[in-house]
Amino acid sequence: MATDLSVVRQPIETANGLSNDHYIDPVVFEEERQAVLFNSWSGLATAAEVPELGDAKPVEFLGVPLLLMRGKDNVVRVFQNTCRHRGMILVSEPKKIEGAIRCPYHSWCYSHKGALVSTPHVGGAGHNTHENIDRDTLGLTEIPSYIWRDIVFVNISGDADPFEVVHAELLERWKEFDSPHYHGGADSTFTLPVKTNWKLAVENYCESYHLPWIHPGLNSYSRLEDHYNINQYGRFSGQGTYVYRQLTNDAGDVFPDFPGLSEKWNTGAEYITVYPNVLLGAQRDHGFAIILEPTALDETKEHVHLYYASQDTDDELRAKNTVQWREVFEEDVFVVEGMQKGRHAPHFDGGRFSPAMDAPTHCFHDWVASRIQIHREQQQAKSQAAE
Amino acid sequence: MSRDLEDQILEAHAQHDQMSLVTLYQKAGRIAEQDGDIDAACFFWTHAYVFALEQAHPARDDLHARLVTYGRET
Ligand code: FES
Ligand SMILES: [Fe+2]
Repeated sequence: MATDLSVVRQPIETANGLSNDHYIDPVVFEEERQAVLFNSWSGLATAAEVPELGDAKPVEFLGVPLLLMRGKDNVVRVFQNTCRHRGMILVSEPKKIEGAIRCPYHSWCYSHKGALVSTPHVGGAGHNTHENIDRDTLGLTEIPSYIWRDIVFVNISGDADPFEVVHAELLERWKEFDSPHYHGGADSTFTLPVKTNWKLAVENYCESYHLPWIHPGLNSYSRLEDHYNINQYGRFSGQGTYVYRQLTNDAGDVFPDFPGLSEKWNTGAEYITVYPNVLLGAQRDHGFAIILEPTALDETKEHVHLYYASQDTDDELRAKNTVQWREVFEEDVFVVEGMQKGRHAPHFDGGRFSPAMDAPTHCFHDWVASRIQIHREQQQAKSQAAE
Repeated sequence: MSRDLEDQILEAHAQHDQMSLVTLYQKAGRIAEQDGDIDAACFFWTHAYVFALEQAHPARDDLHARLVTYGRET
């Protein structure tokens, strides 16, 4: 039976959170996979993962085989990693495509832009054309993608509004940060596997309520009242701080600032979730992104990436920064895993929100519920049309 | 195809040596063409062409032209 979303879509004062089924029922997980993750712009990977022309990397997203590829024209594209002939997986490990992508089965070849360029023996041995094989209609299936802050977002269903439209307010809000963000490299990325539904990682990230309890270290210099909620209902949510302090080494060095920032960012910083699954941090001297990869109903990989204003930052300081963030994110692990376990309590009703503190969380639940409602309406219209 | 050339092709396949596969299949094609067996020649050149495409091998254009000449490729 479909879950009741009406309680979630109430005003925060009277709303409950999403019910347990949204965290523990495989049927609801399937529904959300389509309604919330495939029909939206989900974070897939970073463009830094294919740094050089011709780099190709296979990536799976909720079981969908995809290929991340930087063409010889320096454009990063995402394709279904599937041959148009018999559906063979085209690229099974990261590699450089020197010329064409050759299918390992019958050797159909695709260009770096996905065009089908050769179909060996398709008209019989030594005959490489056939009147029924129209190469122009048999290129690789490209998945709509958009890169922002080096994150590759994909719309797997292919029918979402353009990313710039969906996220117009957020792009505007952070436009001062539009200067290049350089990935810190191998020492600036790590993955935390957590036993939780991906949504709980979003919920925990969006709110500042937990900071003094879970991150007392952070909070010794950053009190609860130094933070503010960010809730754009129907769009995004998160938190901001007025007391961001730059990391320094013993000599007092700091990372260089992103160019052209206004004064408010001297001590201001913001932490926002790009719904559904990308957690971003914007600060004067570095940014970060956490791409949540849901690998199962109750398992998520948190892929963390740190970014700087310069390609050339101090090695030691950068390593120190990675350690600091890793500690913070690790402090959150027991909470998101604990809430997942808590969702098996049959009498838990989705929870009561603090109207003062929990609006970013409710904002997210409300958005998830709205996506599911739209999806259910579409499904219903489809089945009525079929009758 | 000579026994020797066939062995070399099998060895190049075993080693995933695509660059050698281009030149070896190219050679096999030429021999077949000299023997007047155009079907066999185009079969080998197709293989040479595909590996050349994959590797962006300089022989790519020449192989393509040959296949087009015999009506085997567009
Ligand atoms: S499945 Fe790819 S060429 Fe046949
Ligand atoms: Fe936290």
